[in-house]
Amino acid sequence: MPPGDLDKALCGLEFPTDKNVIIGLDRADDAGVYKISDDLAIIQTVDFFTPIVDDPYWFGQIAAANALSDIYAMGGIPKTAMNLVAFPIKDMDISVLRQVIQGGLDKMKEAEVVLIGGHSIEDRELKYGLSVTGFVHPDKILTKRNLKIGDQLVLTKPLGTGIINTAIKAGLVSQDVIEKVTRIMAALNRDAAEVLKNYPVHACTDITGFGLLGHLAEMVCDSGIGVQLNSSQVPIISETYEFASMGMIPAGAYKNREFREAMIEISPLVDRGVTDALYDPQTSGGLLICVAKEKANSLMDELRHHKMEDSAVIGEVIPEPKERIVVV
Amino acid sequence: MKEIDARGLACPAPVLQTKAALQSQKLAEVKVIVDNEGARQNVKRFLESEGFETAVQKDGNDLVVIGKCSATLQPHPQKVPEADTEPKKIVIMCATDRIGFGDDELGLKLMVNFIGTLKEMGPDLWRLVLVNNGVKLTIDESPVLQDLKRLEDDGLTILVCGTCLEHFDLFGKKKVGETTNMLDIVTAMQLADNVITI
Repeated sequence: MPPGDLDKALCGLEFPTDKNVIIGLDRADDAGVYKISDDLAIIQTVDFFTPIVDDPYWFGQIAAANALSDIYAMGGIPKTAMNLVAFPIKDMDISVLRQVIQGGLDKMKEAEVVLIGGHSIEDRELKYGLSVTGFVHPDKILTKRNLKIGDQLVLTKPLGTGIINTAIKAGLVSQDVIEKVTRIMAALNRDAAEVLKNYPVHACTDITGFGLLGHLAEMVCDSGIGVQLNSSQVPIISETYEFASMGMIPAGAYKNREFREAMIEISPLVDRGVTDALYDPQTSGGLLICVAKEKANSLMDELRHHKMEDSAVIGEVIPEPKERIVVV
Repeated sequence: MKEIDARGLACPAPVLQTKAALQSQKLAEVKVIVDNEGARQNVKRFLESEGFETAVQKDGNDLVVIGKCSATLQPHPQKVPEADTEPKKIVIMCATDRIGFGDDELGLKLMVNFIGTLKEMGPDLWRLVLVNNGVKLTIDESPVLQDLKRLEDDGLTILVCGTCLEHFDLFGKKKVGETTNMLDIVTAMQLADNVITI
């Protein structure tokens, strides 16, 4: 749901809690964290959606990679998963569901996660996703907070999947571009999460439905600091610009802009297609890592060494203007 | 004029309907009715990418995007005479935070008075463009900030030059108006009936 609408629904509700809740709904992050003992906490998350690509096997892979991503973004290791399935059994051949689940299973195997259950319902439209539980040391949780002035912002996957998925629905995208984007969305954020454990990382999140600027805005809100984003450094899938100029922009991108534009200042020199990509809702996007300045270059080297060639330093945490994002 | 009803459709369907209509026949003018902001912007962009000039009208809850094929227009299209009741389009281009040369203190006083009196132009005042030192009128320290905010609340579009904000390191300090670029400024001048430079 669009960010503003969800706030309206939840505003004022009281959520049950106890002393072991480290991260709950009162300070919404990528996932919830619950302390089991002094050296173990569990991270829980759930995510599911309707197909974004036509191929059911790849849809399963993407949905699983997307659900697992929240665990990685919080510094944890995913351990167990449950399937969530909604299926139009009267209109669709059951073999489609089998392929979706096979895609999800292959992704779970890659992530060394075990599937221990699930739930399915009949629905008019196919939906698939996972509920995932991961482990983390209570002192090593990465959140959206704790940004320090001078920190460098690193993004590990290119933007533009929302715009290109819209163009795919419109039948405008060539097969090789569909394959390229599918591979980007299906890629686990595991390797990036492994690499960053050896670096002074102060905050981390994964880029999904709110777009880069929406998720960055969550980091900047109530933080007392600001962020400068260097738009020319942001990795963007090259076909994004063409489809954006044709009006292939998902409705969510406009909602993201409307919700956050008051705290964002975009230089008029920034190309419109780039701005579109910055607000574009992502499916299974990359990690946005906030790392101490002096280690940013070596982190970049190691990410590239681990085949994350699109990774880039895209901005810096600045003292002023407070709680605003300046895009140059 | 070809009319396309794309209400109730989610993106990218309104664009696709428009695209299909353009492909089936050569259209000089097309009207697309949508019911959400995203569809409006997407259809507008699509038509522009196809070489149409666009305008948007509000009709109740509906948004109507009208596209006119620029190629079929005269190189210098004749201005359609406007009805007497239509307000004029006056653009004020203000490149300073003081009026006139000589005494700065007096210049500042005149500027405060000038901005405060602008409301007398009523709806004829269409755009206020602030460039160079003029952008300093939009920050907290500006003595006319409240007046500008009132003008904006009353429907005046205030365009503030982004290059100038950047030059003076005032990004993020602007408290009124929309950040703009030279293309928007030049377009506003072209569409205006009258441009007044301060």
